[in-house]
Amino acid sequence: MRRLRGHVSVSTASAFGLCAVLFLIATIHSSGFASGGNVRQLLVFSAFIGFAALGQTVVVLSGGLDLSVPWLMAFGGIQLSHWAGDGLPGGVAIALVVLAGALIGLVNGIGVAWLRLPPIIMTLAMGGLIQAYLLSLGVLNSGDSGVPHAAEAAASDRIGPVPVVAVVWLVVAVAIGIVLARSAAGRRVYAVGANDEVARLSGIDVGRVRLAAYALSGASAAFAGVILAGYVGSTYLDIGAPYLFASIAAVIVGGASIMGGRGTYWGTVAGALTLTVLSAMLPLFHLSDAGLKVVYGVVILAGVWLSQSGGALVARLRQRPSSPTTASPEVKSVEP
Amino acid sequence: MSEALEITGLRKSYGPVEVLRGVDLHARAGEIHALLGENGAGKSTLIKVLSGVTGADAGTVMLGGRRLTLGRPTASTAAGVRTVFQELSTIPQLTVAENLLYGAEPLTPWRLVSGRRLRAQARELLARYGLSRIDVTRPLGELALGDRQLLEVVKALREQPRVLVLDEATSALSSEDSAWVLEQGRRAADQGAVVLLITHRLAEMRAHAERLTVLRGGESVISGPTAGFSDDELIVGMLGRRLEVLYPQRSGAPGEALLEARGLAVGDRVGPLDLTVRRGEVLGVGGLQGQGQRELLMALGGACGSHGELRLRGAAYGASSPKAALAAGVALVPEDRQREGLFLQQQVRDNITIASLRALTRPGGLLDAPRAERAAREQATQVGVATDRLGTVVSALSGGNQQKVVLGKALLADPSVLLLHDCTRGVDVGTKADIFALIAELADRGVAVVFYSSDLSELVHVCDRVAVMAEGRIVGEVAGEELTEQAILRLAVGAETARRALVSVGANSPREPSPPGAGSPAPSRQFEEAS
Amino acid sequence: MSTASPPLDAAPRGARLSLPRIPLGTAATALLLLVLFVVDLNVQPGLWDLDQLGMLVQTALPLVFVAAAQTLALLVRGIDLSVGGVFAIANTMTAVWVGADGGWPMLVVVLLAGLAAGAVNGLLISYLSFQPFIATLGTWTAYSGIALMILSTDGGMVPTVLSDMLYQSWLGIPSSFWIVLIAFLLWRILRASRFGHQLLAVGDDEERARLNGTPVRRVRLIVYALAGACAAAGGIMLAGVTSTGSPTSGDAYILLSISAVVIGGTSLAGGRGGFGLSLMGVFSLTLISDIVTGANLDVWVSVAASALLLLAMVTIRALADRRTARSAA
Repeated sequence: MRRLRGHVSVSTASAFGLCAVLFLIATIHSSGFASGGNVRQLLVFSAFIGFAALGQTVVVLSGGLDLSVPWLMAFGGIQLSHWAGDGLPGGVAIALVVLAGALIGLVNGIGVAWLRLPPIIMTLAMGGLIQAYLLSLGVLNSGDSGVPHAAEAAASDRIGPVPVVAVVWLVVAVAIGIVLARSAAGRRVYAVGANDEVARLSGIDVGRVRLAAYALSGASAAFAGVILAGYVGSTYLDIGAPYLFASIAAVIVGGASIMGGRGTYWGTVAGALTLTVLSAMLPLFHLSDAGLKVVYGVVILAGVWLSQSGGALVARLRQRPSSPTTASPEVKSVEP
Repeated sequence: MSEALEITGLRKSYGPVEVLRGVDLHARAGEIHALLGENGAGKSTLIKVLSGVTGADAGTVMLGGRRLTLGRPTASTAAGVRTVFQELSTIPQLTVAENLLYGAEPLTPWRLVSGRRLRAQARELLARYGLSRIDVTRPLGELALGDRQLLEVVKALREQPRVLVLDEATSALSSEDSAWVLEQGRRAADQGAVVLLITHRLAEMRAHAERLTVLRGGESVISGPTAGFSDDELIVGMLGRRLEVLYPQRSGAPGEALLEARGLAVGDRVGPLDLTVRRGEVLGVGGLQGQGQRELLMALGGACGSHGELRLRGAAYGASSPKAALAAGVALVPEDRQREGLFLQQQVRDNITIASLRALTRPGGLLDAPRAERAAREQATQVGVATDRLGTVVSALSGGNQQKVVLGKALLADPSVLLLHDCTRGVDVGTKADIFALIAELADRGVAVVFYSSDLSELVHVCDRVAVMAEGRIVGEVAGEELTEQAILRLAVGAETARRALVSVGANSPREPSPPGAGSPAPSRQFEEAS
Repeated sequence: MSTASPPLDAAPRGARLSLPRIPLGTAATALLLLVLFVVDLNVQPGLWDLDQLGMLVQTALPLVFVAAAQTLALLVRGIDLSVGGVFAIANTMTAVWVGADGGWPMLVVVLLAGLAAGAVNGLLISYLSFQPFIATLGTWTAYSGIALMILSTDGGMVPTVLSDMLYQSWLGIPSSFWIVLIAFLLWRILRASRFGHQLLAVGDDEERARLNGTPVRRVRLIVYALAGACAAAGGIMLAGVTSTGSPTSGDAYILLSISAVVIGGTSLAGGRGGFGLSLMGVFSLTLISDIVTGANLDVWVSVAASALLLLAMVTIRALADRRTARSAA
């Protein structure tokens, strides 16, 4: 990973840069954009993406992909409603739901690590199974049984002017950042993502790394579903649908390589913020939903291109020699 | 000379790194011209320019008086340049026929490929080279590596090349197959082609090439008739310095048994075999390519499953995974450094420390960064990688330096048993010397080293004792005074010739003249020489 | 030592009859399809009628074409998430721009639009070195937006020539059968051409294909363009079948097409598989859905069965691959 002075990687920095630029543009256009209330909302929405993309980041770094995130989120909210409805205290129910999410993620990990199934397929199928389970509960797309108070509180409480959700997100981001950058476990994740055979031969238990990554993804997506349900005030089947795209886009705009081995969670944080700012600012320019999507798509591509070429740009600016083998980037497959 | 190859003033840079600095090479039609040089001297780049895979920044390539358009594979192909690469160029999922005639498939009037004519042409082509035993309808990826490389040669020869480049084309072949390849090169030369032979094997070069060019640092430093230069002069030319002693002296003596295998078997093709490795001993593993050496080393290093009994220091050694092996003190340097040994996009320091994370972790899970840095630095120094390169991304290093990084990784794990799989393949002379010195030093310190090499002279000079493998079993051991190249070869080939004699008497194709892969005269010639 | 004359054991022409070796994977998929078909016939006795069968095939037509697109992308070691968007553009274009009175030439224009959309993917992936997953993720979003611009909610009028054609029969066989047959034949022609060989080579081993002189980037570009055209065909089909346009109709087909293609047996790693296999995958999924409806089971059974089928097929193939890899070593 190319680093600027200190510990910040170029791709992460450019991701935050993009976000800042967009925020600036929006504020220039309409000063109310930078108001406390608006910023609070942006933070909360970003946090939803951020939690959904937490596990996704680690999974992608390890060379995988989790397509079951939207269903895990739906599961989070719906299962919570059921257990809370059955009489479990809110906090306990939340903890159990997150645990259940981790177990589901573990199944994903087993499929990928032990059965050697392609992650796209395993998580796709798992998502289908979760969907089937939720359907069998008789849940449809109408607002369902109420969401426990604990979830609602988690979603909307504040510490001073700052939403609790954002604080928790920050704490988690710092923790994950440290684990990824400074711990042996983090090094192993990057190694598995870079080349799992070399990792294995270097004495890393590749299966364990993968299991942990997918379990984390399950837990964080379930938690994202919980707070999302708390915020919306109800749960329904498709609640997680936009987050499949959003979680992956956040990771990628944040500078991670979809093939694994490169990236940071702070990049994902920047990506989540960027996506949220973008979708919040476009209505200011009187763009219809349709136009929004088009711009979204273009910005995603631009963001990715920026973070990948940003490193080369910085190198050229500093006259640092780029290695002979990076002359022509290879077109890689989608084999996560 | 009509079809001469004249390369003049060729320059090529990758970014600010100048790889070719004005290379001159003149090769005549009808001759085999050797191209020598250390890794990093520019040989591969020169070949890439010649075959059109990359372009050049300056300079010209003239073929038979006509200028070759650079940077286009199609132009080089049209000009009759054919390259047999060290890395195969055949596509695994396509069949043998589809590969041999790739890009020149026979078409029906409707511009669709005619399957029947494709297979017929392929069969005819194989027959021309005595390779009819290969089934043209099989996906190429299913064939053994040796066969694939032979097909690589056939493919290159298909259209009477005017320039045939053999880029380390024999490095992975057995001696008979190598001889066959070089014989084809000779035939091509006799038919008027220019044959460029790139090899690290000086003996092979002397036997086949009339003239040579030596590259060093992107420039041609020596050129002329082969007979006009001694090995020493050539090595000096390649290295730019005298090579003092290639093989170091050993001072220690082997101690007690450290690693023992009884009835070790991998799958149903390798084993059962018994093996003992002692402290401070360098045990060589010899034999023709593909006789089970890879499986043996992988099994000992926990990288593949096996049956049988393994004991380390007298206690049971469950080599269930590389992780377990490393924990027990057994480290493996795998065969393919780029695909199995290195994280190409990571820095040298990260590559060196990755196998020793547990030792460098504080309680609580965080890495002890200063200690890791110190360890990487010390280890790099020990293996001979400049410490200012700790931050370099490994893909930018030369083959020799890359190999050193892999060695460093294994050594940092402080192994008591070190398994080396052909670690000097494709490595320049200078690095080889460094590696041999390192092995000697380790052995003298008490490490048990298992050294598999495809180079006979290495085995003889580096090892205390060599176990020779054939057909997945150990057919004999040579040590002490009897440790000679002939002795190893005799053991390696003896079993081989016997097996092939049986095969050719059998049903397959009694009237077919012996194909190069089975029982050609070459081994018996060597056999006679040896006796 | 080397031979001068061809070996004398060469078989005289016609004497040797070599059967094409049917890979185990293909046989397994075909068997699966057969089993599902038999079960469905039991549960839906009305299917014994050719016209009813034609209707079933007709419901699968959109997926058939999206699966064709996905097959092409997977064969070159890529993936196409934008099929959902291209599908939607074609679907809405058919319902709005072509309209009720539109003729076949206008539908061809819609296909060309799909071709162009796919070519954009090809440019991003081949020439700007984007990862296929990311490039098509971005274009999917953009294309969905364009579809919404063309038609903001369900509606529009579908050309009568199209819907009429879909409900016709020729030579007693429903048109949906013919359409599938023609699509399959087009695939066989592609496969047997030199371009088809290059396609597989690029997907199998790009570096080596390049070494052999294949214009890898151009091949990829063309493949993604063709995939776009196929996705557009799918959108047109849905419009014809439902007689209406829907800007969000494409999204479900993305993951469905991946499922169908993988169940069929085309490898995510490229270079192996084909449209014939994907067809079997498409119909397997269609039959499952039909079985569940016919047996009056809840919808979730269909979802679960499809997911389990996907898992089962992939697992079986992975285990089979591992076994052949071990024995070939």
